[in-house]
Amino acid sequence: MTSPEQLPTPRGRRRPAGIAEPLRAAGQRRRRLGDAGAYLVLLVGAVLTLGPFVLSFMTAFKTPQQFASESSLAPPDPVTGENFARLFAEGGFVSPVVVTAQVVLVVVVGQLVFSIMAAFAFARLRFRGRDALFWLFLATLMVPQVVTVIPLYTMFTAVDARNTFWALVLPFVFGSPYAIFLLREYFRGIPADLIDAARIDGAGTWRILWLIVVPLSRPIIATLVIITVVTHWNNFMWPLIITTGPTWQTITVATAALQSQYNANWTLVMAATTVAMAPLLVVFALFQRHIVSSISLTGFR
Amino acid sequence: MTVPSLPRPSAAVRAGGRPRRRLRGDAPAAWALLAPSLAGILAFLVLPILVVVWLSLSRWDLLSPIRFVGLDNWVEVLTDGRLGHSLLVTVLFVLMVIPLQTALGLAMALLLSRGLPGSWFFRVVYVVPWICAPLALGVVWRWIFSPYGGALNALLGTDVEWLSDPDLALPVVAAVSIWSQVGYTTLFFMAGLAGIPTQVLEAAALDGAGAWSTFWRIKLPLLGPTTFFVLVTGVIASFQAFDQIYALTPNGGPQGATDVIATRIYLEAFQGGFNLGGASVMALVLFAVLVVVTLLQQRFFAGRVTYDLS
Repeated sequence: MTSPEQLPTPRGRRRPAGIAEPLRAAGQRRRRLGDAGAYLVLLVGAVLTLGPFVLSFMTAFKTPQQFASESSLAPPDPVTGENFARLFAEGGFVSPVVVTAQVVLVVVVGQLVFSIMAAFAFARLRFRGRDALFWLFLATLMVPQVVTVIPLYTMFTAVDARNTFWALVLPFVFGSPYAIFLLREYFRGIPADLIDAARIDGAGTWRILWLIVVPLSRPIIATLVIITVVTHWNNFMWPLIITTGPTWQTITVATAALQSQYNANWTLVMAATTVAMAPLLVVFALFQRHIVSSISLTGFR
Repeated sequence: MTVPSLPRPSAAVRAGGRPRRRLRGDAPAAWALLAPSLAGILAFLVLPILVVVWLSLSRWDLLSPIRFVGLDNWVEVLTDGRLGHSLLVTVLFVLMVIPLQTALGLAMALLLSRGLPGSWFFRVVYVVPWICAPLALGVVWRWIFSPYGGALNALLGTDVEWLSDPDLALPVVAAVSIWSQVGYTTLFFMAGLAGIPTQVLEAAALDGAGAWSTFWRIKLPLLGPTTFFVLVTGVIASFQAFDQIYALTPNGGPQGATDVIATRIYLEAFQGGFNLGGASVMALVLFAVLVVVTLLQQRFFAGRVTYDLS
């Protein structure tokens, strides 16, 4: 009810109430019609957005028999967990979930700790070459992943570290230029007086960073945790290239492999995509307000 | 309590008054804090660029030792048409995705910014595809488009081979890409619209501007920076699109119809040919293309993005 478009119309302001009344009524009618149209379009958009999810979840809970005999739009009857049971037993989907969770955990912790350290140095310490070095960090944001995967593959082959846990995490664990950039912006906004006061009280750089700067930066750190979890849970190209066989497959790689192995077995494949998407959807449902506002805040893609 | 009034300022505070000493005083701590991320960036972002240049000048099939071959790969890749085809497919893909995605994002943002009750719900719903793995969504859509038990043919009562028809495959893949990114684009336009000062809109209303001219003459020009951001990041992301396209149409699609540059690089390097040298050339070409596109967009918008009302 407080949208800027619902301000009094200019005519209503200038003319006596008797003439303005019918005009205002006409305007309101138009607005109500416009609102109805807007709702209609928004609703169509929501159905188009959620439709594929609903259909795929439905399929994941159908028996293969029902899938084969009935329309694929029919709701599951009976509702069955057999696709998931088969996925975890025969499809070997336990390991990918565990591997992905481990990768995400290690990358999130490493990337945040190291990014926070670097961002603090860039934001709050003075040293020779700081600006040039910061530009180098920023410039690496321009490098597309497609360009680095081939040389990284070669490098990991050279040290015989292909298809290992370390190959999955090392390229990402030492911090991300993007996170460093965002954290630096945030740290610069922290009042210098606070930091100076801590210095006077005898706190060293390390303590100031973890006991004053980090607690004050909780919003941006929460945002980065979400972004990093999403990115690395969903990461596909690098794990696809650097792993072979089931041992270190991540959830996305396992889903792609399952899809090509059980080609027309869609109830099983939709169980796999459900497992791949569900954890993040739950996280999203819990923190949607924060997540939605942090996307537009950070420009993360 | 201000710093100078303290009876015994510590060494750090005194150094703060003299930038030169502070400069030296901070350096060891700064380098210690920077060491891990600097090492990571040098090893996993800078070194790979040098390696990819060197690989582009070498021949290697993952088995025999790497051999220096000069510009052979460059000549081969730039003359044999595969790269040209992939670049063409990629440009077509970008041209299908970007205008629609941007226009739809803007339209939805305008609808959501009417302040209707329940807008928040729609805003959240539209972001859902963004949170999910593009690979998983690609697999879901592959089922939807599947001619055997796929949802779309069941819905339409048709029998179309959406993904194996060379004429349909690329538009279909582009549609999925638009579907998964409109909500993300919408968020940015909403933020941009929220940033337009109400006084400006009120002034326009007082001057008798209708919704139509308010949009074209006020909102759209003031959204310049947002549009620029959305276009630059959108074009860069679409040029590198891989996961979804790989899930929908592995191996470049029917008759190479969806053989975008990222897929081509992957297939060239890791499937069939194991031609890492050729793939490296393509990767460097893509890199160059992205740099040029970014600079062009910057130049195009340089004269237009001048409204700063913040």
